[in-house]
Amino acid sequence: MKKFAIKNIKIALIGAALVGFTSSCEVTDLVPADLIPDSEAFTTAPRIESAVLGVYESAQRGFYNDVVQRGYPFGSANVEQGDLRGEDMYNDQAFYEITYNNSYSPNSANNRGMWISLYRMINRLNIILGNLDVALTNGVLTTDEANGYKGEMLFLRALAHHELLIHFARPYSDDPSSMGVPYRTFGIDDVAKVPEGEAVSRGTVGEDYAQLILDLDAAEGFLPEGDAGRANKGAAIALKSRIKLHMEDWAGVLAEYTKLTTKYAVTDNPVTPFRGGTSTDNIFSFINSATSNPGTNGALPAMYGNPDLGARGLVKISPIIWRADFWDAEDTRRTQLTTRSALGIFTDKYTDATTFSDPNPILRYVEVVLNAAEANARLGGAKTAVAVTLLNSVRSRALPASVPAYTVAGLGANLLTSILNERRIEFLAEGRRWADIHRLSGEGLMDGIPLKASSRSITSIDFYTTSKVILTAHSLPYSSDLFVWPIPLSELQSNITAPIAQNPGY
Amino acid sequence: MKKVLLGFAFTLLTVMSVMAQSKTVTGRVTSDEEPEGVPGASVVVKNSTVGAITDLDGSYSLVVPADGNTLVFSFVGYITKEMPIGSKTVIDVVLATDIKQLNEVVVIGYGTQERREITGSVTSIDSKSIENLVSPSFESQLAGRAPGVSITTPSGILGAAPIIRIRGVNSLTAGAGPLIVIDGVPVVSSDRSDVNDSNPLANINPADIASFEVLKDGSASAIYGSRAANGVILITTKRGSTGKAKVSYNTSMGINEAVETFKLLTGDEFVTIANEKLANAGQDPAAFPGVNTDWQDLVFRKGFVQQHNLSIGGGSEATKYFFSLGFTDQESAVRPNELSRYSFRANVDHSISKAVRLGLSMSYSYTEIFGLNNGSNSLSGAIYNATRALPNVPIYDEANTAFDGFNVTANGATTGFGNNLAGPDNNIPNIGFVIENNIYRSRTHRIIGNAYGEVDIATGLTARSQIGVDLTLADDFQSLDARHGDGRSSNGIVYMATNPAFLWNWQNTLNYQTVFAEDHSLNVTAGLEYQFAKYYGFSGEASDISDDYFRRNNLITGSYNNQFSSGSYSERGFDSYFGRFNYSFKGKYLASFTLRNDGISDLVGDNKRGTFYGGSVGWRVSDEAFFNSELISDFKLRASYAEVGNTDIDSFAAFGGYAPVLGGAGAGIGYNRIANSGLQWETSKKLNVGLDMTIGKVTIAADYFSNDVDGLILAAPTPPSLGVPDNSINQNIGAMTNSGFELRVASNIISRGKFTWDTDFNITFIKNEVTNLISPITSPYNRTQVGNSIGELYGAKWAGVNPANGNPMYYSGDDIIQYNLQPGLLPDGKPRLGYKVYDPSNPGDVSVSASGPTQDFLGRTLPKWQGGWSNSFTYGNFDAEIFTRFSGGNYIMNESLRGLLGQGFSNNQASILNRWTESGQVTDIPKLYSGEDQNMWQNSVSNSRFVEKGDFVKIQNIVVGYTVPAAALQSAFGGAISNARIFAQVQSPFTFTKYSGLDPEANSYSNQRQFGVDWNVAPIVRTYTLGLSVGF
Repeated sequence: MKKFAIKNIKIALIGAALVGFTSSCEVTDLVPADLIPDSEAFTTAPRIESAVLGVYESAQRGFYNDVVQRGYPFGSANVEQGDLRGEDMYNDQAFYEITYNNSYSPNSANNRGMWISLYRMINRLNIILGNLDVALTNGVLTTDEANGYKGEMLFLRALAHHELLIHFARPYSDDPSSMGVPYRTFGIDDVAKVPEGEAVSRGTVGEDYAQLILDLDAAEGFLPEGDAGRANKGAAIALKSRIKLHMEDWAGVLAEYTKLTTKYAVTDNPVTPFRGGTSTDNIFSFINSATSNPGTNGALPAMYGNPDLGARGLVKISPIIWRADFWDAEDTRRTQLTTRSALGIFTDKYTDATTFSDPNPILRYVEVVLNAAEANARLGGAKTAVAVTLLNSVRSRALPASVPAYTVAGLGANLLTSILNERRIEFLAEGRRWADIHRLSGEGLMDGIPLKASSRSITSIDFYTTSKVILTAHSLPYSSDLFVWPIPLSELQSNITAPIAQNPGY
Repeated sequence: MKKVLLGFAFTLLTVMSVMAQSKTVTGRVTSDEEPEGVPGASVVVKNSTVGAITDLDGSYSLVVPADGNTLVFSFVGYITKEMPIGSKTVIDVVLATDIKQLNEVVVIGYGTQERREITGSVTSIDSKSIENLVSPSFESQLAGRAPGVSITTPSGILGAAPIIRIRGVNSLTAGAGPLIVIDGVPVVSSDRSDVNDSNPLANINPADIASFEVLKDGSASAIYGSRAANGVILITTKRGSTGKAKVSYNTSMGINEAVETFKLLTGDEFVTIANEKLANAGQDPAAFPGVNTDWQDLVFRKGFVQQHNLSIGGGSEATKYFFSLGFTDQESAVRPNELSRYSFRANVDHSISKAVRLGLSMSYSYTEIFGLNNGSNSLSGAIYNATRALPNVPIYDEANTAFDGFNVTANGATTGFGNNLAGPDNNIPNIGFVIENNIYRSRTHRIIGNAYGEVDIATGLTARSQIGVDLTLADDFQSLDARHGDGRSSNGIVYMATNPAFLWNWQNTLNYQTVFAEDHSLNVTAGLEYQFAKYYGFSGEASDISDDYFRRNNLITGSYNNQFSSGSYSERGFDSYFGRFNYSFKGKYLASFTLRNDGISDLVGDNKRGTFYGGSVGWRVSDEAFFNSELISDFKLRASYAEVGNTDIDSFAAFGGYAPVLGGAGAGIGYNRIANSGLQWETSKKLNVGLDMTIGKVTIAADYFSNDVDGLILAAPTPPSLGVPDNSINQNIGAMTNSGFELRVASNIISRGKFTWDTDFNITFIKNEVTNLISPITSPYNRTQVGNSIGELYGAKWAGVNPANGNPMYYSGDDIIQYNLQPGLLPDGKPRLGYKVYDPSNPGDVSVSASGPTQDFLGRTLPKWQGGWSNSFTYGNFDAEIFTRFSGGNYIMNESLRGLLGQGFSNNQASILNRWTESGQVTDIPKLYSGEDQNMWQNSVSNSRFVEKGDFVKIQNIVVGYTVPAAALQSAFGGAISNARIFAQVQSPFTFTKYSGLDPEANSYSNQRQFGVDWNVAPIVRTYTLGLSVGF
């Protein structure tokens, strides 16, 4: 009996082993559930649309300190870094201290985050650009669809490279032959493409700007009109007007402006573009949502908002601009777009302090108008009157009728300054200040970063509402090496075949 | 078999000499373990060469010379005993077991082997010395117990996983922790909690463990092939043995407390320092006297700990069983961190017949951890917050009922200002409120078990099949208060997740052992193994909670305005074929050879499969005829070589493609990883040469080892401007070596009358060198570069404080520069602040601008030497153990200290009082200056100012016990209690170190490339307990 049992068990074991053997072979033949292989990524039109949406995602949620957080590059960080390099927004906390007091180094997280997340976005879009023609050939996309995507990618490529240029390179307005940034025009999705990628040099600022214009001209040709949530023809034109301003191509700025006058309009109420992001003024914005945003440590409503309204409030409006004589006390951008607490005054452009869904406005028509105003003013002569009219179209809409509009005669030699001041008011808390300091310092109209309110010295509303002395510090002359950010150390170290040059002084 | 072999070994000791005027003494040697007699034991007349060996029933007969007056009884595994002869002619002896030398049969991969026959490097650790200690998981108590095994507990938070390294760090970007196998089943060792540190090994009741075997060299571990590169820890749980049921109950209770806390400024000192920072920057005072608060008092506490274990073991000849119940509840020294575990185990073995055996091991545990936010740099991070909060501000404000009586600003944004004009930097919340209201809970149900069947097919030939499972059902709950702290910005958050992991493993082995031609012993094992693991999970999150009432226990439908979810899935499989061949000739010449072929799902195509092998030889010199030493009773030489692999790589490491990404514009896909179908196994070439020796009462094991790791699977860095996902590509690039020397010396030092003293000492020296890389691997603090060891500290070199003006000075290349801390502008409109040349002959001169500091290597982070030393004593019924651990040769970046010398509006470490204030003052703290943290301290890199030696000696445990005499028990309980021991223990009583931080083992990062950084780590815990063990 016993023996019989043993035999049975033996047979059962052997049988089980055989069954198991055949089925268990499968354990190594697995594929990841969360990764679509390269070969299948561009095989259907919906997947290509998904890949394109993935580029927007990378623009809005990039890496900061090796983690997706804080809205690098365009979820919010472009605004925060752009503002805090300037004097009009004030750093109330340690968060933006390094940017605010110019103590960055090749290792500091903000400039690294910007560099890494912008190039990550660029590679994503270049990979798509490299696959669109194949998809077209294979009949996955129609020509219109493929062109539309090409236009989007080229627009975003220019936007990203321009952001790199204003932080990591000297201004075009100073010397176009100075060192640029690597301009990437092909995607790297294969080990074999790495050396070719490493070989792309910094080139010159002039070459980079030429490529920006090439990309944007092409994008303009490809792109359809569209709303502000996706790249569109108007966005490509508006970005060109900005870039041509940096290039001091005044006629070019006007040419781009002309293309948009019938499509967009400055809103009567300055608040409107920030409530929903679909006004006639909104040309292009990156959309944040409750499920996809820079989070409490990066989102504009959290960082810039008033703590009394549930925000974190790490950044206030600086009393420097608040008390500037050029900002009229009755300006609706003062009365309706700010809030105050006992500690100071905060912007109210971004309001969703709970789910951080405010879009980040990148291009507004009002910028194109002020670009055109400046270009006209620069050209002078007969254009001066046009410049004043355009300036008034922005300024007077925010002022009561009791405040007279500017006149050519009244402004006289102050026209350009008034336009530049208007930009400071209009784009306050939108991150545009640094770009202006960059280009204006390059041409000698400014000497680098002006004095700012001393970090963490503005401890009460009195600094805004009384004549209490504002302590100042943190200025930086244009000649300082710190005027441009350092290239991250990891960039220099990991490029074996053709390391790019570090900016001087780091 | 065992007895025969043991007897054989000791024949060498038998040196008989018959002398005149002698007498014959006879007797029997027995022990608790072998009451029927201990065969092969040595009986020697003290101070002579006269001796005998006991035979199979433990009896001996010996002719004692006239001058002989003492007999010495000894045997491997037992404590040597001396007996006076006097006029006796019959001397019976009961030997006591020696814990350190037990486990003569050693568990190896897929089988067992006699210690004497082992030619690889295997260290056994008996659980007895650690089983009553109180710790969240067993492995933290293995630290220092075995040479070559480094275990560091990186923080005092319960649930934080200790870092285990066997013979150094053997991988760069793949995992560097060992394979852990419980009763033959590899266990899941990944943390499955999203909200807490939840060490998976904390799910295992340490009291269920009988022994640990650490397979260190290539030969011992080669049977695990592709998973062997980081060493293997085999855990064997307790099983029943034939006989009357033994019931035992162990308990201990006590407290946990922080060994040390930070010495911070008082409120009044803070006012001085904070205003001086501002004044030096040309700003108005913002701090004004108030109270004196130490916020650390809120965070640290004396936590109550208790553990209870009840077990029953026993059995008949055919069926043996072991059942246990365990419960522990441990409050850490950091509020509100707490870990509790309930566990149950059933191990049953049954022989159906002489040839067929079945068995089962089953354990279930339920672990609950209450954690906290202890982020190094998190606003609500307990340590960060408590050391930064303003000390001149009260914690409580009873009138502030909206915030439960805590001192919080009316808008909830930050801690109340007190008399100050400003709140704390970054609006940090009141940590008291946070601890009171935010909940971080992880729960884990864990089932680990296996069932086996074994059939003796023919004499010596056994087939075995074993199926094991490891199921982890982990769930998380996190709830953040809407009013204040981390949940405020979202108006309250409730997050829940479930993250199961399921692994099954099926092993089929054939084992054949035989002895032929008397002298040739052969043991062959062949097998196949399949393993499949699935990791999956999903979460639900709510924010904007309608009422605080609803967020306390769970997500409650309808109580929140925003809902989010997430999910993940991953799987991984192995299939393996292996064989091992052990041969021994007369027990003198030993050889072993292992071959294994593994397939893994993470790689692609032909590269999926890899073949690994290992071999070793041993020579028991002491068995040779020519070897004739009375002093050296056992002497074995060993050598081994193996090539093994490491599979602890990213799942689907060779695959590339597009991952789902959710942007504001919609759900899309984003390029996620560059495929590398050429990716191959990482291989470790391991060499080991060693010896085992017994000299008199001293046992020595010494090993030299080297491990050449080649074709490292490296997330090889690419220039960030390429925009490649994660700026890296998985490639087989890089090589490194670990080489070193291990020594273990154990001995009975004194055994006199009632007093015994045993000692066990081990030390390991390790050198790590990276020999090939594509480019240096850099992180903010560390840098891994060819020619150096992994993850050395890298950063700015401090040159002191300029006594003339208080400026901080650094090296820029070979030159010294200073950062000029002066507010205002120069006549030309440029700021005075900035880097300036330092001229030693005119130190006050700040007229010439300079470029910033350059970076350099500042010290290795891996210890060069480490070890442990146990001393145990018995005196009558008293016993005691003092266990000491030591380590050194490494450096630590004390980031905690740098942060605490910050220049913002936050509290500081008290040493900031030594700041420079007047010309000529020599100090190591510069002039204060609000907001100049970065330039003063070079915050984004390591800084030699804060790099300190990590050498330490720790008294790890002191245990004192008293065994109640059997007679007393008999009279008191009438035999109801058969044995009882009471004990008192203190864990981590003393640390001797020059390191100025809280703990030289503190470590903020667990990956091997970022090491040696102490950044607001919770302090190490000291534990006092009293306990009781009773047997029924």
